[in-house]
Amino acid sequence: MNNLITLKNISLIPEFFLGLSLIYLLIFGSIISTHKTRPLIQDLILKLSVLILILSLFLVFNDKLWVIENLTFNNTIIYDYLSFFSKITILVFSLISILMIRFYIKDQKLNQFEYTIIILLAVLGFLLLCSANDLITAYLAIELQSLAFYVMASFKKKSSFSVEAGLKYFVLGSFSSALFLFGSSLIYGVTGTLNFEDFKDLFLNSRPKEDLADSIEFLFGSSLIYGVTGALNLEDFKDLFLNSRPKEYLADSIEFIPFESDLVQIASLFIIVSLFFKLAVAPIHAWSPDVYEGSPTSSTIFFAVVSKLSILVLLTRIFQYSFHGFIYNWRYYIVVIAVLSVIVGSFTALEQKKLKSLLAYSSVSHIGYILIAFSTGTFEGIQSMFAYILIYMLAGSCVWSIFLILRLKSFHFKKQNKDLTDISLLVKSNNIIAICFSIVLLSIAGFPPLVGFFTKMSIFLSALESSMYLVSVISILASVISTFYYIRIIKIIYFENLLVGRLYYPLRFIETIIVITLFFSFIFLFINPTLLYLISYKLSLLGFF
Amino acid sequence: MYQVYFENFLFFIFSSVLIISGLLMISVKNSVYSILFLVINFATAACILFLLECEFISLLFLIIYVGAIAVLFLFVIMMLDIKFLEVPKDIFKYFPIGGLIGGFFLIEIFLIILETFKSNPYAIFNMGSNFTNSYTNWYCKIDSMPDINVLGQVLFNYYVIQLLIAGLILLLAVIGAAVLTVTSVSSKSKKQFFFKQISRSYKNILVI
Repeated sequence: MNNLITLKNISLIPEFFLGLSLIYLLIFGSIISTHKTRPLIQDLILKLSVLILILSLFLVFNDKLWVIENLTFNNTIIYDYLSFFSKITILVFSLISILMIRFYIKDQKLNQFEYTIIILLAVLGFLLLCSANDLITAYLAIELQSLAFYVMASFKKKSSFSVEAGLKYFVLGSFSSALFLFGSSLIYGVTGTLNFEDFKDLFLNSRPKEDLADSIEFLFGSSLIYGVTGALNLEDFKDLFLNSRPKEYLADSIEFIPFESDLVQIASLFIIVSLFFKLAVAPIHAWSPDVYEGSPTSSTIFFAVVSKLSILVLLTRIFQYSFHGFIYNWRYYIVVIAVLSVIVGSFTALEQKKLKSLLAYSSVSHIGYILIAFSTGTFEGIQSMFAYILIYMLAGSCVWSIFLILRLKSFHFKKQNKDLTDISLLVKSNNIIAICFSIVLLSIAGFPPLVGFFTKMSIFLSALESSMYLVSVISILASVISTFYYIRIIKIIYFENLLVGRLYYPLRFIETIIVITLFFSFIFLFINPTLLYLISYKLSLLGFF
Repeated sequence: MYQVYFENFLFFIFSSVLIISGLLMISVKNSVYSILFLVINFATAACILFLLECEFISLLFLIIYVGAIAVLFLFVIMMLDIKFLEVPKDIFKYFPIGGLIGGFFLIEIFLIILETFKSNPYAIFNMGSNFTNSYTNWYCKIDSMPDINVLGQVLFNYYVIQLLIAGLILLLAVIGAAVLTVTSVSSKSKKQFFFKQISRSYKNILVI
């Protein structure tokens, strides 16, 4: 009993390192900051947390455990290529976001050092969620992550907007967690297990009542016939069985026993609703613009960029892996929700004056596209979903980084929100950033010489391949509409009819390096999209087995 | 047999303490006293659950009801600072309706007892009463492991990582509550220095 965490449980070493080092960081910070002179150690702790993230990234890279695909901790933790790659992605993007928020925190005087520790706890929640293989672990990881987010949303205590955003996020988020728990308890009541592997074993053959049963029967029957007669030709059958009637015998030999699964389907609906709340898709998206708007931008970059991938990984694990047998049931809800969120995200963003809520609505429509690919349930759909979410995270981190580093000189710089007019004639004051911003926006909108075009096209292709024609036509039209507001931002940046532009503070070295690297990655991925497609194809394969 | 009698004896003691403290809780005038009787009530209920070998539930009773809820009640009552009120004696005014409802439930409870607990013809030593159920505790003879032990073994063997995540969630809740409520140093509330106040006199106030 003295070695609870042995060496064989090595699959969570990065998480253990992250958790232990953030506890040490907390002890260190609380000892230093309660000294008599009250030193400000925000920047120090932030640099240390960057170091911790880099080291845990190294730890993830270091042992290539995904080749053995092991299940550890009593089958509750899975370590395959999906969790490996999503952990790397989450660590890289949270590293970028932490580096970008450094000077914003200094400007906004968010001086309590606990901020970065809470961010690290949220990252730990993401990492655990990526490798969760059972509903308890998934719930606890979601709770860790979202509790950190509530605190991060209301971190600017003096701003009543921030406090309101935190409270709103807390109330609605805990409601959705309750839905998740209710669904899990129903599933546990029916099946007696919480493990995704066991769900797969239970429900893989519980498909659909009529059509698939018929087809299985047909396949099984024809193979039996082939085994008996050695022929598959109808003429041969006629010769062989002219006077016998083998059909009744075959029908008797096949026993198709379906698992009683109606309650499980309702329970999985609860889990869908709860996870879709966390993703902010259309009927339950209303919190996201308010929370994005109210909370400090250094928190918003985490909500918008980093938080989506791990929830999508969990959705893939539950619905493409465990409950894939019910695909004929759940894909209808998901298709309706996806189309609705594409439409809502495209139309409501036309009216937005604030840049933050515009980006929030645009993320609603992007999650809608992702869910269209998700609802196909095919390998190509999952592949295009992962390709899209990777490019979405890349573009989101680029846009939000530019949003964070542009600090207006003329206004009082404590203002944390930006109207659309705050970036008018950006091209006159900072040409390079204007080019980066507009090209990334074009990539998000899906213009051809950029990688966003490929990912959007692959989503529509996968929808068409699984014959969702109406859905793809509607979403293509909505994507044309949504192009309008991206182009309007570019028009504001380039061609606004103003006499005087805005003046900005000069950018720092490391911020410009990051933004330019992100910008070049768009062009690189357009020239060489094979990298993206190979990785996402591998992800889609391992999502199934 | 001796053990059974001893348990029954303890059960009678605890249940009578429970009933008396429950009666006192609603009849005492000072509200702090009534909260303290509530605490005694919960504690004796936990003891009865211990006798029934439900250790986990009884410890939950102690932790949640006594540790959290009763302390919260006490805290609220002390904050509200309710004055000691002489309640007018209108017990007799409400006695008929209250007695009716109480008597109804009492009769119902007795009916249920008479329905379920029959006198056991095989029991030789049943203390002369029909309602004492003399029994052999087979469970105690089979399984000597208390259920806290079992829960702990499951929790620490199979759900180690979940326990660690739950601990991190609690840590995060503490950090978040502290960060969001502790005000900064600059707006520190002014303290009262008693010796300065006491040593003030009219002679050293005016400096001319």
